[in-house]
Amino acid sequence: MNSNIWLLSFADSVAIATTLILAALGALFTERAGVLNLGIEGMLLTSAITSFLVADSTGSVWAGLLLGIILGAVLAAIHALLTVVLRANQIVSGLALVIFGTGLANFLGKPAEGKTIKTTIEPMSFGPLSDIPGIGPVVFGQDIITYVALAIAVLASWFLFRTRAGLEVRATGDDPATVDAQGLSVATIRIRYTLLGGALVGFGGAFHMLGQSAAWHLEATTNGVGWIALSLVVFAGWRPIRLIFGAILFGFTLQLPFTLQAEQITFIPSALMPMLPYLATLIALIALSRPSSRNILGAPKALGIPFVRDER
Amino acid sequence: MSNTSHEVASGPYHSGGAAPSALSAHSVSKRFPGVLANDSVDFDIQPGEVHTLLGENGAGKSTLAAMLCGLYQPDSGYIARNGQRVALSSPRAGLQHGIAMVHQHFRLVDRFTVAENVILGSRNLSFVLDRRSINERVSEVAESYGLPIDPTATVGDLSVGQRQRVEIVKALYQGAEILLLDEPTAVLVPAEVEKLFENVHAMTQAGKSIVFISHKLGEVVEISDRVTVLRGGKVTGHVSGRGATDTKDLARLMVGRDINLGTQRASHPTGHEVLQIRDLSLNVNGVNVLSNISFNVHEGEMVGIAGVAGNGQKELADTIAGLLSPTSGSISIGGATATDRGPIHARELGLAYVPEDRLGMGLVPSMSILDNLLLTRDRHIVVDRASVRPEATRLIEQFEIKANGPDHLARKLSGGNAQKVLLARELSGGRTATKLLVVCSPTRGLDVGAIETVRRLLDDARSAGQAILLISEDLDEIMSLADRILVLYRGSIAHETPGETAQIATVGAAMAGLTTGVNG
Amino acid sequence: MPAPFRIVFEQRAETPKYLSALVPLISVLAALVAGALFLTATGYSAMDTYKNMLDDGFLTYRGITETLGLSTVLICTGIAAAFSFQMNLYNIGGEGQLYLGMIGAAWAGLALGPHLPSFVMIPLVLIIGSLAGALWIFVPAFVRARLGTSEIVTTLLLTYVASSLLKHFINTPNSFFRAKNVAFPQGRNVADSAALSPIGDTRLYPTFFVVVALALFLYWLVKKTEFGYRIQVIADSPRAAHYAGVNANKTTIAVMLMSGALAGLGGATLIVGPFARLDQGITLLGYGYAGIVVAALARNNFAGIIVSGILFAGLRVGGEKLQISTDTPKHIGVMMQGAILLFALGGEAFRRYKIRAVRMKAVAQ
Repeated sequence: MNSNIWLLSFADSVAIATTLILAALGALFTERAGVLNLGIEGMLLTSAITSFLVADSTGSVWAGLLLGIILGAVLAAIHALLTVVLRANQIVSGLALVIFGTGLANFLGKPAEGKTIKTTIEPMSFGPLSDIPGIGPVVFGQDIITYVALAIAVLASWFLFRTRAGLEVRATGDDPATVDAQGLSVATIRIRYTLLGGALVGFGGAFHMLGQSAAWHLEATTNGVGWIALSLVVFAGWRPIRLIFGAILFGFTLQLPFTLQAEQITFIPSALMPMLPYLATLIALIALSRPSSRNILGAPKALGIPFVRDER
Repeated sequence: MSNTSHEVASGPYHSGGAAPSALSAHSVSKRFPGVLANDSVDFDIQPGEVHTLLGENGAGKSTLAAMLCGLYQPDSGYIARNGQRVALSSPRAGLQHGIAMVHQHFRLVDRFTVAENVILGSRNLSFVLDRRSINERVSEVAESYGLPIDPTATVGDLSVGQRQRVEIVKALYQGAEILLLDEPTAVLVPAEVEKLFENVHAMTQAGKSIVFISHKLGEVVEISDRVTVLRGGKVTGHVSGRGATDTKDLARLMVGRDINLGTQRASHPTGHEVLQIRDLSLNVNGVNVLSNISFNVHEGEMVGIAGVAGNGQKELADTIAGLLSPTSGSISIGGATATDRGPIHARELGLAYVPEDRLGMGLVPSMSILDNLLLTRDRHIVVDRASVRPEATRLIEQFEIKANGPDHLARKLSGGNAQKVLLARELSGGRTATKLLVVCSPTRGLDVGAIETVRRLLDDARSAGQAILLISEDLDEIMSLADRILVLYRGSIAHETPGETAQIATVGAAMAGLTTGVNG
Repeated sequence: MPAPFRIVFEQRAETPKYLSALVPLISVLAALVAGALFLTATGYSAMDTYKNMLDDGFLTYRGITETLGLSTVLICTGIAAAFSFQMNLYNIGGEGQLYLGMIGAAWAGLALGPHLPSFVMIPLVLIIGSLAGALWIFVPAFVRARLGTSEIVTTLLLTYVASSLLKHFINTPNSFFRAKNVAFPQGRNVADSAALSPIGDTRLYPTFFVVVALALFLYWLVKKTEFGYRIQVIADSPRAAHYAGVNANKTTIAVMLMSGALAGLGGATLIVGPFARLDQGITLLGYGYAGIVVAALARNNFAGIIVSGILFAGLRVGGEKLQISTDTPKHIGVMMQGAILLFALGGEAFRRYKIRAVRMKAVAQ
């Protein structure tokens, strides 16, 4: 067994985890406010291609990142308009967004098919620290976005549990009627955090493209990362810090097929390896829905339920 | 019809000289689709005063209160605060003017602590929360009005009375000068009501104004400085002076005619036992919801189960109906065992069950009356609606249900009519003729006319020899209807007494868990 | 300064009949207008694009028969989605169940085909495909009923697993499903007895009529039978179901299995019809996902799904042709599906509520 490959693969896990952390944090904020947005996968794809096209034409990864973030928020705005303002079914609206986003991304991505981007986000260098054998590349060899994502997760936890606004978000997800009775606008809060969530998902999609895959491939670019992010939120019990650990775990399973192939471990046929992360996620979800563990999870009580003030 | 509204109106636009009211409504009207909920209503309250809005369900008192606190906006007319016209565009605007509402259904986040609930929505706090100082502030405010409460307790763990206290503390913390209490005693036991009234006095002493919303005449007379009576969206009377009024007069103003909600208690002999319950216990998630309950209900007898919500009444009904499996003990209906055999078996033995939750459990809201009749009956593989239609039409007529016909959707029925559909289905028998009727809170939320009808229907069923188990949180209802009263407290029978000789003080004490014992 | 207007939603007591028909129509039109703006903005000619799509999807003989042919599988996945949606179960893994339907049908066509005559084989292949689809949803159905695990994510995750499985069967050397003596990995053609021929010179297969009849049968099943009654009770109020002694768990499993079977049937129609073998190109077509849109646009009405299935088939056929005849990416078809659904969801609000802007009253200070 080649320990170097495993170490590198762990560093890769962290990179994949970065996309997952950002996308899942986006879903977490949205869901904490009581809105279920299943459209993550479509939003990731759209942001990915947008950031690709912008970075490719301007030569600036930062411009690409910015536009990716904006596109994520724009798609989330459609979801917010339909579900919060017009009270449409959140599940169907999210699914529509997946289909729309996928179509849009592939439409826009047609000219970019198979192309590779010239400028990408480079790993940061902490000088000698990054060269420490073993932990060096893992802890100090990531790109800046990874550190930013971790910081956002920590900040999100502080925001949700230690600030006044965080209290209001959590209350909106749990009991919108109470928030409404306090004279706070449930709709405003829900729209605000759906947009924030969308921006984070867009950030994730843009990073996925610019920091990781760097090439646009039809239909296969995000490969279900959006759905895994949604499962991750459940797995993390809607808590940002737990989400970091979950993301690293899921990131590890996502790149495991590649490592196993590199290690030439062949007890699983190579064509079946890609199914491992999805099966692992599935098993985790089922294990977590045992009645005994459901209470600990703490899903927002009003998740997915449109709020309508009871007017007689 | 006497409308004394112009006498009540005061404020800068109507009269000169007098001190401005703390809060006043000037000929406000509010229309909802199909109803004029408030029709040119006038109202005012002074600092340090308790002013009651009295009226039956649907009279418009909640609508008026909602406009006074900014939840709704009047279609015409206006609200004034200290004589100045104000636009209360939202509850937040209401709060900014020192007006707060304590809702009947508490607006508290169960998972939050007391302090978190109290500060939710406050603007005068720093962005980052300092828990320790917040907890101290909350305790301070609470104790200054004699409302001690632990700020770190989780609201979901508190009793109903304590939650109400949290609501009041929240309003006071937010600087409310005027508190609107919407049916605050509906959920309290007599002892808690006393405590609440003490708190109300403490608040009025401190110069707060209390708008008290109620339909219970006795307590209205006890607590109010003034009473405004509403009926059909209009002010029908305006009475001043504590205790100066006869409750009968208030009742007439409220209903518009003399009413009689009492029924003739059974003097007829009761038959053999229809429902037999022996040592019934139910344990849900490690909590003993019911412990060792034994009682019988006879043919032609109505047994009332009194108790404060959450003492096991709902679970008792569900267990009898076969919806919950008891941990131990036995149930038999008409001599045949019904223990844990499921709802269909129980119905085959002659059970009919009117659950507390009409729309959602008893009835399927999106289905027609016709389809709802089929809910507890035998349905063929291909549902034969045509053969049930004549019966549906007949029941609509017989039970005086206001509907367009059998295809009228359940969710479009009023509360009273939905309850009549439910009773019609359950009393008319489904799989077999009804022998035992279990009814939960049959008149909650209904207007007086519907209450009379429902009680008459129950009475008729009893006269026809059916055994009835009446479960209700409305003690008056149980006292006036039941032949025998059992009090359920923490899942046990805490008290038993014949209906005729029942004393409200004794039954109330048992409901609060103060006495145990079986009385005659 | 508060906004001068407030949007007010008034629940309609009765939805006028004409609105139920008009709203989807206007939604489609609005989506087309939005699509035109988008096409213009990205430098394509909207008029030409739509004209070509309309001609190639609906107005030519070749186009309309191809559209009806494609609608066969879309109606299948549409009724599959609707069958679960109507009970508030969201099986969105129709895509994966469709793959399994193909795998099951291809197995039957390869293994049993040489030994049985066509009139036995065709129904058998369709049934085995359906069973395979049902099998694929069994775990999500079971854990949903028993543990309450959200079926949304589980069914979707299994789609990725199904996709790997499909590729495995095609790519693995010596796989039963793989064509022999072909350099590029591809599926082996099923026996002739398991393959239908299209009608005349079209690409429309008789399975279309089977599927339309099935949709109408389901319409009747839901409206008129005890099983349909039970579904409605559970969908609207699970507590009423419990009260009436309706076993929600059993019905949940039954409905989800049927949903999976219908999606599997969609896969099987591809095997007896246009594909005749396993083809990993299916993973790029998204017929299963399209079923969600087809169902949602028809508001889970099985008769309406026939219409929306044909509509979306036409959009895709038109889109495909477009890419060949012009350089407009065919994905405009998928994108328009999503857009139409988004507009239809928005339109739904106008069907359920009267929406008015109310001027806020000026208040004299």
